Amino acid sequence: MEYLLHILIYFAIYALLGISLNLIAGYTGLLSITHASFFGIGAYAVAILTTQFGLGFFGAALIGMVLAGIGGLIIGWVLSRLSGDYYMLGTVGFSYIIFAIMMNWSSLTRGPLGIPAIPRPSLFGLGLGDNLKLFLLLLFVLLVIYLLSRKLVASSFGRVLRAIREDENALRVFGYETTNYKLAIFAIAAGMAAMAGAFLATYITFVDPLSFTIMESVFIMSIVIFGGFASLEGSLLGAFLLVLLPELLRFMGLPSEIAGHVRQGVYGLLLVLFMMYWPKGLMGKYKV
Amino acid sequence: MDYLAQFTLNSIINGALYILITLGFNLIYGVTKFVNINHGAIAVVGGYTTYYLFRVLGWQVSVSIVLGVLVAGLLGLLLDRIVFRYLRENKSSNVTQFIASLGLFTITQSVLAIVFGSQLCSLMGDGPARPYNIFGGFLTSVHLATIISALLAVFFMFLLLRYTRFGKIVRALSDDEEVAKIMGINTGQVIGWVVFIGSALAGLAGVLVGFDLGIYPAMGLIILMSGIIASIIGGIGNFYGGVLGSIILVVIENLGMVVFPSEWRMAVAFAVLVPFLIWRPQGILGKK
Repeated sequence: MEYLLHILIYFAIYALLGISLNLIAGYTGLLSITHASFFGIGAYAVAILTTQFGLGFFGAALIGMVLAGIGGLIIGWVLSRLSGDYYMLGTVGFSYIIFAIMMNWSSLTRGPLGIPAIPRPSLFGLGLGDNLKLFLLLLFVLLVIYLLSRKLVASSFGRVLRAIREDENALRVFGYETTNYKLAIFAIAAGMAAMAGAFLATYITFVDPLSFTIMESVFIMSIVIFGGFASLEGSLLGAFLLVLLPELLRFMGLPSEIAGHVRQGVYGLLLVLFMMYWPKGLMGKYKV
Repeated sequence: MDYLAQFTLNSIINGALYILITLGFNLIYGVTKFVNINHGAIAVVGGYTTYYLFRVLGWQVSVSIVLGVLVAGLLGLLLDRIVFRYLRENKSSNVTQFIASLGLFTITQSVLAIVFGSQLCSLMGDGPARPYNIFGGFLTSVHLATIISALLAVFFMFLLLRYTRFGKIVRALSDDEEVAKIMGINTGQVIGWVVFIGSALAGLAGVLVGFDLGIYPAMGLIILMSGIIASIIGGIGNFYGGVLGSIILVVIENLGMVVFPSEWRMAVAFAVLVPFLIWRPQGILGKK
């Protein structure tokens, strides 16, 4: 039961990441490979604010989301004039800078040692300490985010985003300030990713920089690609499949050290195969 | 030790390494028009091949180096034939190819980690290389080899691109592939050679890094990112731009190291890149 719960919690966290990245990458066409940075900002905000400043989980998570949103605005602005592979490279750069901060600002982040003993959330004196309650809370958050995202992509705002993906210049001619739209969605999605990070930190009660590398961003991007660009249901499916994959490897009896690398190799292979033969992904509506 | 002399020497050593990477990267980018992240992994494969032959099997150092460089070139060619040629023929976007290369990078890195482990492997077995004292600064034989390799590579690439029929075709392809095809050039064959030469240069860089600092599977991206940043600064896909960008980047990086600890090197490099991305994304020598 605990094991099943563990997988479900991971699924919910990565579903949040998949949905939020899909808003940027699938719907708006901004292929960002720095989502793990916002994920990490949320996780570190909770880790630092709860262990060093005595804040509660919810307050810390909210601050983390705001910080990630600001980060999203900054990186979005810097990269606003780029597109295609240059854009992706720019996001890789941002990813390195955030990683360097986590790794080297030791007085705040304890560097490579990471931050242990992060408390579980509690609400009005009610402990949400055990995994089942945490999962239910996470499921509720995922549901809310999913419904909000559906509303968002169906709204006029969402239509502008898709139009930016198809032909940004045409949209500019019609007088839309496309940059503002791109910044807005980037900040929103960054905030969502930070929320996922907050849950990760409180669930495993430990954070370290190696959880938020480029490879993690590539993993989140794989979720979006497998599930399909511009399909929220696809991201749920992608998160489910990719979270389940390493568990299957575990059942095959590979030692954990090797299993991690095999897992990485397998999703690298899947990325290549999807790009070659199935660039729309399983449920996607749009091909890069 | 003379501080200024050491500063200059460090800049030349790092610059030589960046030049080796950018030469290959720009050459390939010129004809394929997408950012190939796997180029970094190719460099590391070169290093590991030499490591295996020289340190594990105990072969001659010169034979091991030559084979390391060749294997890197052939692997680059093979992957291009299997993956990227297919994507080109299907008119995939540069973003699709970028993601596929990211997948390949992930595969290569995991395979290396499974075979050799994740820890640092040094090609230099018997302690560090012997340092020479030059104008008050220190320089090892490996550094010297790196500098000479870079100079030779620049010299031969210049001759090749400037004065041979092959070079003319490559330049024509870099300018306009369609026209080159119409003129009856066998683009597939030329792209094959370009990818082979470019990948072999990356392999050489990997071997040299292996002798100097040692290599580990995840090193590819770090080696490549500096190269890509230098390429963008100088003008991506441009031969002279790569050399110029490498020199500029390395001087600013080393100046940055006077102020920041060396762990921040990548962050400094990306900070250099940002103003270029915003105001001059085509680089110093790039055409609009």
